[in-house]
This record gives sequence, C-alpha cells and structure tokens, in this order.
Amino acid sequence: MIMKRLKATTAIVAIALSGTMALSDGYGPFPVTLQGYSGDKTNTVSYSGQIARHVLEQSLKKLAGKGNGGGNAADLEAQMLSYFNGSDDDLPIIAPKSKDGFKIKQTSLHQISKGKNISGKFYDGAMPAWPGNMSGKDAAYNMIAMAAKSNKGFDADTGYDWAQLISKYTMGAMAYNQAVDNYLDEKLSAEKKPNNKPYKDGVHYTGKEHSWDEAFGYWGAAAHQHGFNPNKVYEIAKMKNQGAADKNGDGMVDLKSEYVFGPCYYAAAFDRSGTKSTNYTNTLFDAFLDGRKLITAAAGDALSDSERSQLKGYAATIEENWEKVLAEAVFKYAGSVYKDINKMKDLSGDDLNKAYRAYAKHWGELKGFAMAMQSGKSNLGATATKMNELMGFGPVTLNNSYVTGMDSNGNFVMDRKRSWSDYQLHMLKIQQMMVDQFSVKARVNDGLNDLQALTDKLDSASSAETD
Amino acid sequence: MDDINLIDFFLSDFINPKKRVFSGYLILSIVLAALWLLFIKQQSFRGAFKKIFDKKILWSGSAKADYKLFLVNRIFTFFISPLLISQVAISTAIYLFLHSVDIFNQNLFANTPTSVIITLFTITLFVVDDFTKYIVHRWMHKIPLLWAIHKVHHSAKTMTPITVYRVHPLEGVLFSLRSVFAQGLVIPSFLFFFGNAVDLYTIVGVNILVFFFHATGSNLRHSHIDIAYWKWLEHILISPSQHQVHHSIAEAHYDKNFGAALAIWDWVFGSLHLSENKGDVVFGLDTYESGKEGKIKDLYLEPIYEIARIIKIFAVRIVSRALNRLLLIKDLFLVQIKKNRS
Repeated sequence: MIMKRLKATTAIVAIALSGTMALSDGYGPFPVTLQGYSGDKTNTVSYSGQIARHVLEQSLKKLAGKGNGGGNAADLEAQMLSYFNGSDDDLPIIAPKSKDGFKIKQTSLHQISKGKNISGKFYDGAMPAWPGNMSGKDAAYNMIAMAAKSNKGFDADTGYDWAQLISKYTMGAMAYNQAVDNYLDEKLSAEKKPNNKPYKDGVHYTGKEHSWDEAFGYWGAAAHQHGFNPNKVYEIAKMKNQGAADKNGDGMVDLKSEYVFGPCYYAAAFDRSGTKSTNYTNTLFDAFLDGRKLITAAAGDALSDSERSQLKGYAATIEENWEKVLAEAVFKYAGSVYKDINKMKDLSGDDLNKAYRAYAKHWGELKGFAMAMQSGKSNLGATATKMNELMGFGPVTLNNSYVTGMDSNGNFVMDRKRSWSDYQLHMLKIQQMMVDQFSVKARVNDGLNDLQALTDKLDSASSAETD
Repeated sequence: MDDINLIDFFLSDFINPKKRVFSGYLILSIVLAALWLLFIKQQSFRGAFKKIFDKKILWSGSAKADYKLFLVNRIFTFFISPLLISQVAISTAIYLFLHSVDIFNQNLFANTPTSVIITLFTITLFVVDDFTKYIVHRWMHKIPLLWAIHKVHHSAKTMTPITVYRVHPLEGVLFSLRSVFAQGLVIPSFLFFFGNAVDLYTIVGVNILVFFFHATGSNLRHSHIDIAYWKWLEHILISPSQHQVHHSIAEAHYDKNFGAALAIWDWVFGSLHLSENKGDVVFGLDTYESGKEGKIKDLYLEPIYEIARIIKIFAVRIVSRALNRLLLIKDLFLVQIKKNRS
C-alpha cells in the first residue's frame, strides 16, 4: 500500500517536473551537430539578421511619420531608403527604443547584425493591390516616396496613412514571404542546404538548422515564450512587461532573443481578443520548436525522406496559421473601418476630421495586411482579385471619392465616388470572405456578430412547432 | 453514460422552456384544465381528474402513434436540420442587402430609447412569426401537395399535447424553413435600423410573448379540454376550443382557425370560427381509412405515395394538353393545305 502510494507520488512529481521543464523549453540553445566541427561554439541558433530586419521595419515605420509636408521630403526619403535598402554606416535604432520600465539592450543596428536590409528580402512579384501596375518592391518604394512628401505620414486627400501601409505591408512582403516562400519552402528540399553540410563555408550550423532558424527569426517570437499566455506575449511587444521579456535577468531586453516583433505580436493580439478561441501564438511556436528539435535530433546527418516530410508537416502548420493571422488582421481592420464609418456619419467639423484620421489609420492597416497576404507563397487567385476590388486602391474619403488608379506621372487618380454605406457593405463582404476562405476564428470587430448573437438567442428550431 | 445521452436526446424538449411540451407548461396546463372543469364546467373533482387523465385518450391507438412519431421524428430532425439553410446565412444576406440600398439609412432609429427598441423587437418578432405560421398553415390545407403531408397531423382521432409532434418530417422541414425566414428577416432589419441595442424581453430564455402563449395553456389546444374564451377575445387569440374546431371532421369546420396564437389573421382573412358550446367535437379525417391513424408506416409513407399520385395526375394533364394542342395545330395545318390546293 505504502509502496503504491510512493509510486503514485513519484509519478505525480515526475509529471509536474516534466511539466515545468516543458514550459521553460525555449527556442534554443541547441547544440552543435555539424559533423567534423572542431571549433568552440556550443549554440547553433542564429537569426540576428532577421531581428535586424524587424528593427529596420519598425524604424522605417517611425520615419514614415516624420514628413513636414514637403520641406524635408528629399532628406527624409534618403533616410528612409537607408533603412529600407540598408547602409554601410551603423544606423541608430529608431524603434523599438527604451522607455521607462522597459530597457532595451541595443541602440544601433550593428549591435544586432551588420549589412542587413529590407529590400533584398522583399517580395517582388506582381502587386495588383496597389495602383500603377507595380511589382511588390516598387509599390514599397512608391509608398516611401509618398510618405517622405506627406505631412506626418498622412495624406488627407487620398486617405493614405503611410506608416501603417509600409509597416503592415512589410510584415508580409518581407517576413511572411521569406519564411513561407523561401526558408520553409525550397530550402526544405533534399538538395538545398542539406543537413550534413554547413549552411555556408566556415559556420558551425548545418544547412537545415539555419534555414529553420531564419524562418523562426522572421516570425518574431521571443525565444523563451514557449507556453506563454498570449497576454504576456502581447505585453512584451507593447513594452509593458520587462519582467516577462528579460529572460536572463540582466535588467535589459535583448532584441536578439527576448523581444516580440510584429508577426508574432499580431498572433498574440488575436488569441487574447475577439472570440478568444484561437491559439496561434503557441501553435506556431510549437511547430517551430518541434521542427528544430527534429533537425537537431538528426545529429548532423542528411535528413531522411520521412524526416523531411515530417518537417514539411511542421512547415505547413506554420504557413497555414501565419496566413490565418494575416486574415484575422484583415478581418479585424475591415470591422474597424466599418465601425469608423458609423462614427463619422454622425460627426462634423473637428470631430469628423479626428475620426477620419482614425479611419485612415485603420484602413492603412487593412490595406497593408491585405497586401501582406498577397505576398506569400501561394497565389490567392480569385480571392485576391475579389478582395482588392472590394477594398479598392484607397479608402472612401470625406468627399466620397477614392483612389482608382495612377496616371503616367505617378499621381493618384480619384475619379469615382462611392457612398459610405456601400463601402461598409464591402467591409462586411471582406469579413465574410475571411471566414469563408481562411476560416478565421478570433473575429475581432465582427460586423456580423450581433446577428449571430441574436440568432443564437432565438434558436429557430424552437419555434418550428406546427399546429 | 450512453443511456443518459439517449434519454437526453429523446426527452430534452420536456426540460427546454423554448418548447411547448416543457414540463412546466404541461403542469400549468393541467392546473388550468382542472380550474376550467371544476369552476366553469362545475364538474366534481373526481370527474375532472378522470377527464384530464382519461386512459382511453392517453392510450388510444392514435395517441400511441403520436408517441412513436415523437421519438422517430427526433431522429429525422437530427439528420435533416443540419442540411437546412441556416438562419445566420439568411440574416447575413438580408443585412448585406440593406447596406446596398442607398436610401436606407443605417442606424436611422438608433436614438430610440432602448426599452422601446426591445419592446418593438419582441412584439415584431412574435407577430411576424405568428403571421408566417398562419400563412404556411393555410397553404398546408389549401394546396393539395402540402395537404397530403399535413393530413398526418389531422389524422389524430384523439389529441394530447404530444400530438403537436404528430407531423410528417417534411412538414417539420417546411416549418423550420418558415421560422428561419421569419426570424432571418426581422433580426437583420432591426439591427440595421436600430443598431446593436436590439434585444429580446425574455422569461426563462424565451420571448416573453411566447412564454405567455405556452404558460396559458397552449398545450390544451391538442386535448379534449375545450377551454373557450369570451367572443371578443376569440377574435384576437385562438382559444384551445377554437383549435379543436380546426381539428373537427364536421364540414362546417373545414379550413377554419389556421392561426397559431393570434386569431386576428383568421378574422382578417375570413377563416375565423368561434368556439361552440355543443359538446365534444369529433377529431380526425372523414376521408382517412379507419385504422390507419395508428400505423406508423402508413403515416410516413402515405403522404409520399399521395404526392406521387398528385404529380402523376398533373403530369398526365400537362402531356395530354400538349398533345391536344399538337393535334389541333396538325388539323389547322391540313385545313390550310386543302384551302391552298383548292
């Protein structure tokens, strides 16, 4: 009897212990598996280049709001391009920056990684969501030039909020695209970046180890956030919880491993709001972690076909859920735009202008995320065409006109008008589309949920009684 | 565990206040029936008890068939209802449509006091729902194809509250769709014009008006307790007795009192018949082969055969008419040729 009890207790303790171990199980460090390596390195995890690019994107977003209406356009554009195209000089980190209660370790790019840029890793296929028949990269250059000329990143005539457009678009065209269309795609093949060879000459990590790490870096999660509640992840990204971020307890948040960047931040934001029925943050983190463990377990041998197919399974989970996070964002901001229009209908004067500014910000996020979705691996086909048509090139502005295209001089053409109610209908249709095509579940700012709630309350079957 | 689920599956309606046969409503119905028999009909306690729990009625062949249908239909509903169009789909389509009509101004009445909005919504929903019940019920009687289905319900020779489940599954489908359309129309219209303050006054989770309909003896409509109202009230609300008239085989009672809760529709459209104090009415169908009212197989299959017969007759009629036309054209053609020759 006593033995039985002892065994039971031991089992419970063991489960509890393994539980805590599993919780502290972060992304790295992972040991060197490269066969024949004789150096003194002990950790193969490395994705500082991706962190540098997230920082470039956040800094670029800040710069996009610094225009003074044209006076500083040339200088500002040059400065923005130094962040977009990269620079030999060490650039200061404009965002994220330390603030009270949240101290960030790095203050310049070279403290993270040298020689990095956004433009070299930017989606450059067709981008029909932006006027002017541009490639993905040209659309970004166009936005940068326009932002530099604008007044604080906003163009009231067209309704464009450049900081939001650039930032959200880049989260897809750079991070999402590189991860799902490159590192988790062709670099998982048997031929490219094999696991029995170093990623490149002279490094201590294998081809597959580093390919996977690069994708993880683009996802933007903190290395130690395994099993975290989405609120905590959200607070780290919002710089509200240094305790949760500062894993090594040195009193500073190391951007290279302890901070949460854009893509992962949005996953957490959706997990903690709306219907609260999603688990994107941990699903993605676990898939990355499990994949990395599988590669490490191969101990420097080339991956077998079955190992690679398992790895591709993890990659598919990552890709599918990442796309859903972007679709959730489109859903959320279509709902914001819908609500903003309701507000604006009742306002005039300064109040209206203020509400219009908020509307434009939300629309910029909507458009940016819609463009992000179209920068992935798969061509969204008819879905993209329909979504672009519903959203238009620009928001319906205060005089009901909206951007319909671009003339040969690069000026936006606004030769059509649309009623706000009509545009609201488009927003609802976009939400419906995200539900139908991508099965979004968090559904923040659901324009149709009042309908759903009332319908549930009534339960039509109950009154099916006949006489 | 499985046993509990099975009981739950078949008998859940008795614990669901949204259902007419909710045990609370049944108990209230018994109380009402007792009060009626004791005080209005001046019957003895013993006599009232016997009348309410009349074994000949509760265990008649017709009633037993009701109980079987109650159980079997449950299975049908389980498989059929997921296939039907959902209310959310209809609501969404209508809500989207309202946005597309520029003259409709969203939130036009959003400044209406919340209590007014809720009252309006509660009443509108009840009235629209009741009106569509009247219309569909009328069709069930007037259109031969639908009457073939609805006959199952009217074949009951004795009535108990469970008779409300004595319906062909196809009728269940039609009534579910009716409900989906009625509510699918009212909900989005209110949300569009009144904003998100729209809500429902409820008691135990049920529309307050539906609750009153059930709590005041809706179950007695299908019973032998002929509670009648004042004449003026029978123009507004259908009394149990009036619904029993609807089930009568007397010719004077054909196609009367289609209404569910409100009698207004019957009054307006000329199908109202007030209750009569002429003793027990005889329920059933005079055309129905005697004995069939208790056979489950016939109750399910007869309507299908009859629908097939109706369609056949209809098809034959169309084909023969078409043939006659062709023959006529041929004759005219021949006459013309003769004329031309001469």
